[in-house]
Amino acid sequence: MRRPRSSLRVGALLAVAALALTACAGSEEPAAEATSSGPPAPVEIRFSWWGSDTRHELTQQVLDKFTEKYPHITVVPDYTDWNSYFDKLGTSVAGGDAPDVITQEERFLNDYASRGVLADLNELGVDTSKIDENVLQSGTIDDALYGVATGVNAYAIIADPAAFATAGVEMPDDTTWTWDDYVEIANEISAKTGKTIYGAQDYGFNEPGFSIFARQRGESLYTDDHKLGYDEKTLAEWWQYSLDLQAGGGAPDAAKTVEVDAGGPEQSLVGTGTGAMAWFWTNQLTAITNASGKELTLLRVPGESEEERTGMYFKPAMYYSVSAKSEHPEESALLVDFLLNDPAAGEILLSDRGLPANTEVRAAVQDKFSPTDKQAAEFLADLEDEIVDGPVVPPVGAGQVAEITRRINQEVLFGRLSPADAAKQYTLEVEAAIGG
Amino acid sequence: MSVVTELRKTARGAKTAPSRRGLRNGDGKSAAIFLAPWFLGLGLITIGPMIASGYLSFTDYNLLQPPEWIGLENYTRLFEDPRLLNSLRVTFTYVFTAVPLQLLAALALALILDRGLKGLPFYRSVLYLPSLLGGSVAVAILWRQVFGIDGLVNEFLALFGIQGKGWVSDPETALWTLVLLHIWTFGAPMIIFLAGLRQIPEMYYEAAAIDGAGVVRKFRSITLPLLTPIIFFNLVLQVIGAFQSFTQAFVVSGGTGGPADSTMFYTLYLYQKGFTAFDMGYASAMAWLLVLIVAVMTLINFFASKFWVFYDD
Repeated sequence: MRRPRSSLRVGALLAVAALALTACAGSEEPAAEATSSGPPAPVEIRFSWWGSDTRHELTQQVLDKFTEKYPHITVVPDYTDWNSYFDKLGTSVAGGDAPDVITQEERFLNDYASRGVLADLNELGVDTSKIDENVLQSGTIDDALYGVATGVNAYAIIADPAAFATAGVEMPDDTTWTWDDYVEIANEISAKTGKTIYGAQDYGFNEPGFSIFARQRGESLYTDDHKLGYDEKTLAEWWQYSLDLQAGGGAPDAAKTVEVDAGGPEQSLVGTGTGAMAWFWTNQLTAITNASGKELTLLRVPGESEEERTGMYFKPAMYYSVSAKSEHPEESALLVDFLLNDPAAGEILLSDRGLPANTEVRAAVQDKFSPTDKQAAEFLADLEDEIVDGPVVPPVGAGQVAEITRRINQEVLFGRLSPADAAKQYTLEVEAAIGG
Repeated sequence: MSVVTELRKTARGAKTAPSRRGLRNGDGKSAAIFLAPWFLGLGLITIGPMIASGYLSFTDYNLLQPPEWIGLENYTRLFEDPRLLNSLRVTFTYVFTAVPLQLLAALALALILDRGLKGLPFYRSVLYLPSLLGGSVAVAILWRQVFGIDGLVNEFLALFGIQGKGWVSDPETALWTLVLLHIWTFGAPMIIFLAGLRQIPEMYYEAAAIDGAGVVRKFRSITLPLLTPIIFFNLVLQVIGAFQSFTQAFVVSGGTGGPADSTMFYTLYLYQKGFTAFDMGYASAMAWLLVLIVAVMTLINFFASKFWVFYDD
């Protein structure tokens, strides 16, 4: 008695399932028909980027404009903060689930391009006629254009004049100040405000800062034959200044530094109104100004006139690139094209991803720049004559250096490694990363 | 009697059942159908990847280009990697502190709950909750806030005039916040302890009471010995689990294992090697070393159990 009944039930279930399936198929059919006649088939692409909340909002507005122009393309946003971006990207690329349009960074572009992850944008027909030749060059490897730089920016000091005023400390002349001045001023601010406002946030977690320090001394982080171009003493000296800041109270203790660093630009000391100076990229000025709610100033980094030469440089802020494995390369290229060349996109993004690389867009939107954008643009224009040259394109493996720098910096800050030992270990590890 | 003996009995029972009814022709087929999803999962999610990782551990594989055979090089590199040694140190410290403390907490709470509290199911569920939450990303993020410089813990300490610090961002204390998080998720072993306590026949206690045994004596002479199989069971499971901890360290340290590698669990380092440094061959070799370590630890556990676990049959 049991069997027939249960098989009956199975039969009924199957029938329902079959009905459900046909029902689904039935509803999909008209859509399929529509594609063959008029408008193009609906396509979904994914666009990944990193950044602050400000950037996420702006980018979403641009994507809305893009969908207005190309109603058949849906762009799925895929964003995180900087700290976890490349972990996530690496995992999804390895899993065969790469985003179609990928935001890249200088240190990682070579890694990804050399492993066949990125498509040649020239082949995809992205219009680059209005993009500055130098900018294009920075994304070209072996004649293939793997990424178009979104714009340029510079690593500089973001300072809070109100914090200086509160402490009763005079703003430095950034064309002449030395590293000793930097430490002294920071310590003084902390001392005079009883550490309610710190003079400076630790800078040692990011190797572009060291790159500048080395360049000021006629050295460099990398050489053009993909080796290391600095003296270990220089690196030790760089960390020693950092320890001097900590010891003098100019920068917070190590644990606080680690916590602040993990919070990103908005949670930085300057961003929360508890710090007077910090090292950031110029395109982060808007986000940090918004977070702090105060008017901030850009300063040249210390030591630009102290040693042999200046060390600051223009860096491509980030790159737009397209996955080589994208199922919709044409639509992805359309998005890159839109982001780069469409004035509508430029009007919204302004200088969030650096000053627009498309010179026409830059000219068209310059008037619409917010005060902070204008500030950054003027600052970069002022630097133009002082900058000697750009550092070489970081070698394959440079992506790992970000992690190495952060970790060894922590060892230094917590006093677990002396600057000299840290420099030795750093060299060893970076050599392994870029050599292998 | 205990859960383990109970389990053994059901196992025996299951064995005898089909022989009573006789194996009908259709039964084998439907058994196969019902087991198929499990076998499919085992094959696709466990055994397949294991074989793949075994192969990859002998190759240089950057995830994006085809693997290249390099023999034992990944394994020899394991012994020259100071960061790997550090990650082992961190992991062993974690396992050897978090597991015993968690089991102690679980046992203590199980003993309290076993005293015939009113509303036991309610308390049981409430105490089990952290176990459901503890492994989650949300709680790990919460942990970072609670133990942060402006976190709850420091606010609480401030009430007593104690100046707190950034517990999560100081390499001296970061690992201990993770140990605490692990202890907090005592729910699963607690439930098993509770079941074990329920299995101890009441008559032993009655007899002991007549002999004038106090609470402590009863615990030492009856509860603890009869509970040893359960303790052993929990210990083995928790040790294996703790070696594989990943999420908490990943989230609390923002994926870095920092500050200064102080929360760099073995699995986290493995992940970084595989997915951040694109060194999947090396990561695979690390995975097999972990298998070996866990196997050895489990063997030691089983061997040692002969000296302290008491089976009541």
